[in-house]
Formats: sequence, C-alpha cells, structure tokens
Amino acid sequence: MIVLGMSIAVHSYKGGTGKTLFSINLAATLVQHGKKVCLMDLDFRAPSLTTFFGAEKAECWLNDYLNGTCKIEKVLINHSQRINEGGKLFVALANPSTEAIRDMSAKDRKWEMRALGRLLALRNPILNDNGFDYLILDTSPGLQYSSINAIVSTDLVIVVTTFDKSDVEGTKRMLHELYELFEKKTNIIVNKVLYDVSSKSTEKDMQNKITEMYQVPVLGIVPCFCDVSKAEGAFIFTQEKPSHPFAKIVDEMANRIEKNNSM
Amino acid sequence: MTRQEVLGRKPLRVLEKIRESLDKINEKMEIMIELHKRGRKEFQLLPDAPLDVMTLLSMPDHLRKTAMTVCRLGRATAEEAAKQTHRARAVESGYLNQLVIMGHLKKERVGRKAYFYTEKENQG
Ligand SMILES: Nc1ncnc2c1ncn2[C@@H]1O[C@H](COP(=O)(O)OP(=O)(O)OP(=O)(O)O)[C@@H](O)[C@H]1O
Ligand SMILES: [Mg+2]
Repeated sequence: MIVLGMSIAVHSYKGGTGKTLFSINLAATLVQHGKKVCLMDLDFRAPSLTTFFGAEKAECWLNDYLNGTCKIEKVLINHSQRINEGGKLFVALANPSTEAIRDMSAKDRKWEMRALGRLLALRNPILNDNGFDYLILDTSPGLQYSSINAIVSTDLVIVVTTFDKSDVEGTKRMLHELYELFEKKTNIIVNKVLYDVSSKSTEKDMQNKITEMYQVPVLGIVPCFCDVSKAEGAFIFTQEKPSHPFAKIVDEMANRIEKNNSM
Repeated sequence: MTRQEVLGRKPLRVLEKIRESLDKINEKMEIMIELHKRGRKEFQLLPDAPLDVMTLLSMPDHLRKTAMTVCRLGRATAEEAAKQTHRARAVESGYLNQLVIMGHLKKERVGRKAYFYTEKENQG
C-alpha cells in the first residue's frame, strides 16, 4: 500500500517560539491549497488548540485515544468551515482541564510506550483510510515524553527556533542528540527575527548563516510582526489577513512542504 | 490419494520436524551467545523493561534501529526486521535476542517462526 500523505511534528527547544502559531497557520494554508489536513494538539501540558477551535463538539479528547478508551474517529472534529476555501480541516484536541493535565504528567514508562504505539498506529487510519494529505502535531517544548513520541512517530520534524542564545544552543543539541538519533528528516523555522523584510540581500545572507549554523534545510525565516502579537492568538491569522507579509511567508513554507512531499 | 503420495508425505514431515528442531537449537544458541557476551551464566532474562522513547534514546545506535523497527511493525520475525534495517538476518536475529534478554522485547513461537514484539495486542 502506498502512503502519499505526510506526518509532521512541530517542535522546539524553548517555549513560546511559535509552534502553535505555525501549526495552525500552516494547517490552514495547506487546506487553502486544497489539501485535507488533520491538526492534533499534543501539548498535554498546556493545551492550546481549544482556544482557537472551542471544545464543545469534542466527543473524545486525544488523551482518551492515547489512553486506549476511544477510537480516533471520535476525537476528530470537522472545522473545514473555518477556512475560506479549499480542502478540509479536522482537529484533535487535548483536554485542557487541570485534572487532565495532572493526569497526563503522571504517566509511567509503560503508558508512554503504549502511547508511542498508538501514535505510530495513527498513520494508516489517518493518511491511508481517511485520505488525509497531512497530519500535523503541535507539541510541548523540550524533551517531554509526548513530544519525543510525536517526533518518533512522524515523517518530518519542523523545529521552530529564535536567535535567543539559549534557544540556539538547545536547538543544536536537540538536532544532534534527538532528531539525528531517530534518523529524522528535519526542517527549521527561525522566528521572531529582527531584520528589514524589504531587503532581499539580508534575507539571503540570513538563510546562508542559518543553514551553516544548523546544517538542516531552512523552511522559513520569520520577522517579528507586531500585528501577529496584537492578534493575541484570537483567530487564524492567515485567514483573517491573507495579504499580510506573515501570510505570504507561511504560504511559501506550505509550498516548500508540498514540494518536499512530492519528491 | 495414491499410494505414492501417502508414502511421499512421511519423509517430508520428518524433514520438516528436523528443520523445526534445528531452528529451535539455533535460537537457543543465539541466546546463549548473547548471555555469554554479557557474562551471565544462568539462563535467565532481565525483568520487563518498557521500550519507551527515553529507553530508545539511551540505547546504542545498532540496537535502537532494531527496536524502532519492531515498534513500527508491532510484531516481526528476524527476517522481517532485517528487511527494514537492510542488515543480514543473522545479525538482526542477534540484536533481537539481545533485546529479549534485556527485557525490552518478548518472543513467541508460532510453528516454525519466532516473532518478536513489545507487548501483546498493545494497540487499541
Ligand atoms: N513572528 C512573530 N511575531 C510576533 N509575535 C509572534 C511571532 N511568532 C509568535 N508570536 C507570538 O508569540 C507567542 C507565542 O507563540 P506560540 O503560542 O505559537 O508559541 P509556542 O511555541 O506554541 O509556545 P508553547 O511552547 O508555550 O507551546 C504568541 O503570543 C504569538 O502570537
Ligand atoms: Mg504551543
């Protein structure tokens, strides 16, 4: 059986680098490109997707699927209407209640092993049986069990980083001591960069510098946009402001991912 | 069924039995070699050690590759694992048995084949 779809984990060393922002906006942009996308919240320590998508319609949480008490079909919620046009968007949410967060952080090794098995087992039902083109997992920062499980179970890791010194060092370590050990294909996004967007030569220089620093393909370099900050994560930015430079950058990233997948 | 067919069956079954026994001996030897390498005299496996990602991270590269393959396949023979890792079956079989001894994998015989797995029906 040939699987044409692709699964992606969005990860970072430090918190607050923009994982959730890119997970949501990349998913939305791929949907606009006509793709069928499944977006999952694997950040069980600080679930974020409920803020964007609401929790009313969830019959089961992703937590329940990993606990083995619920089928994945019951976790997926159709949010295609949120996207202006194109394909389909399904979302799987992490339970944001304090009790659930506590419960998830107290799991033992055996549970984590089973969770990995269940994540690995998602590939076929999602990408094959249900015909999704992309499965995108938003994760917790650092070396969390759930994040490493997500990394191990996916085809591509997108690591979102900044020029913050400790983030740079941590990201380099993760590239060699985590992604490489699991033989993961890795792309990098450098976010919140302070530079003049209008200058093409600075962008090229920056690209070369980043490639040299990390030795992995660069998916995108993203300036700090006040408009993105001001949005306060209240809506899907690329949907509300499709002509904003941020939306253009995410569009280029989506194109790169699609090109990558067809090779 | 002709007389000849009936006669022809018995030797075939005997040969199959011999091969089965040889496979079993081979497997026991593999485990003994592994135990010997680790300086363990008694024929005893380590207690169950779940194959979670942190454990996978701390393993030497060659074993991680084998362990990851079994995680992905859920259940595999040495031959199936070898096909994924592009290593020789005998090499792969050695690594698989080593993981059994370490308590990370379980092993089960079905007929002539030995299957390696992390846990029985672990997927819901
Ligand atoms: N390029 C940018 N310009 C301005 N603000 C940004 C940019 N990228 C991200 N932000 C803001 O930074 C904050 C953190 O982003 P986000 O929640 O996506 O990070 P995260 O990596 O998911 O965080 P966590 O590790 O807590 O899950 C958000 O308020 C977001 O709007
Ligand atoms: Mg987040």
